[in-house]
Amino acid sequence: MMPRLRALLRLVSLQASYTYERMQGIGIAVAEEPLLEPLAATPERARAARGRSAQYFNAHPFLAGAAVGALAKAERDGEPGERILRLRTALSGPLGALGDQLFWAGIVPAVMGVALIAVAAGFGLGPVAGAVIGYNALRVLVTWWGLRIGLAHGLKVAHAISESRLPSLAARAGSIGAVIVGAAVPWVAAWLLRGTGQSLRATVLVVAGAFLLGALTLRRPLSAPALTLGAALLTLLWRWSAA
Amino acid sequence: MRQLPVLALLLWGTVAGLDLASVLQGLLSRPLVCGSVAGVIIGDPAAGLSIGAALELFALDVLPVGATRYPDYGAATVAAVALGAGQPWGAALGPAVLLGLILAQIGGWSIVAQRRVTAWALRHAAPALDRGDPGVAVRLHLLGLATDLVRSVGLAALGLAAVAVASRGPRFDMSTGHALTVVTVAGGFVALISGALRRAGTVRRIGWLAGGMALGVLGLAAL
Repeated sequence: MMPRLRALLRLVSLQASYTYERMQGIGIAVAEEPLLEPLAATPERARAARGRSAQYFNAHPFLAGAAVGALAKAERDGEPGERILRLRTALSGPLGALGDQLFWAGIVPAVMGVALIAVAAGFGLGPVAGAVIGYNALRVLVTWWGLRIGLAHGLKVAHAISESRLPSLAARAGSIGAVIVGAAVPWVAAWLLRGTGQSLRATVLVVAGAFLLGALTLRRPLSAPALTLGAALLTLLWRWSAA
Repeated sequence: MRQLPVLALLLWGTVAGLDLASVLQGLLSRPLVCGSVAGVIIGDPAAGLSIGAALELFALDVLPVGATRYPDYGAATVAAVALGAGQPWGAALGPAVLLGLILAQIGGWSIVAQRRVTAWALRHAAPALDRGDPGVAVRLHLLGLATDLVRSVGLAALGLAAVAVASRGPRFDMSTGHALTVVTVAGGFVALISGALRRAGTVRRIGWLAGGMALGVLGLAAL
């Protein structure tokens, strides 16, 4: 199998060996390994490259391919070790911030928001399947693109990414996600509360109360699961005492 | 208690557990997706969708950035659907979601424990790893994968055991069930909206969120 394809497959399980010490470091080493095969003829270089490849690294998992490609190219080009380690450190933050903004704060809420609206509107399982297929196609495509751009540009990969459409897409993704999540709120509330017998009143109270509480606790976020479990416990005590 | 397809649910809970961080991260561990498939497996897709959607509200609050510790909603959703399926969902939704929330927190702790096991192995292998000995990184990686597999199977099994215990216990009356449903859905919206406000960060994005809500209300009123 092509080394590039093997690296892509290994990137799919990048975080399997995640630790709080080296974060994705070992996963990066595993994904980089097939791309370092040309160094096998010079065992000392290969050993040094392997040693460097497992150091601390943390970025967004879908964009880590760009780092894997760039680091492998730098090793193959015979760049000095300190320079390669500096590249590793330099890529970690920006690739993390870009991916978090694009995927975790934008695409994931948007995709799940659309699926929630469609389910609430009565479209059943189809939108859920569509969301999974579309998202995974995009996920693989972005990882593959990252790997390619990294291998093509090596040490200059950060510049190549900044020249691409990704930063502007990431900036817009959050706003799109916010609109879709906002639109999902009344749909899902009306749908989930319709079985309680007081759909309209409950929907208005729940959404308005949640918005108010969310706005009031913006600086000191609440743990919603803990709040819910506490409120449920009080509800049970109230029902038990009224029985 | 209804006869549940335990093996299929265990397998699906495990797949969802692995998808959370170790393999793919392809939305399979999202409660809406996980709940839908669990509903199909059990033969009650509507319960899967509604319970999955309610837990999805909580999951949308989670931002898995850097070393953040977060709940694992995958196997928790499978167990929640197994508990709530086949019942009138206005009353079953609340108790099922509460079970899901508890299991998701346990799942979050199990991720930390699993990563500590990998870190322990890493500390032992660090000199060989830093020397660049061949095969060390792959062995550590496979160990991480195997421990996450064990964690995911264990969490899915714990969830199904909790369902078996809860199903044998006393049932809530209809009005208590309804009250718990309102409480859990309200909690879900607190999670969703406060998460969205926090993520929005700027007044402009909060405006987008409010605009989206207005659009949603208009769309709902139009139907």
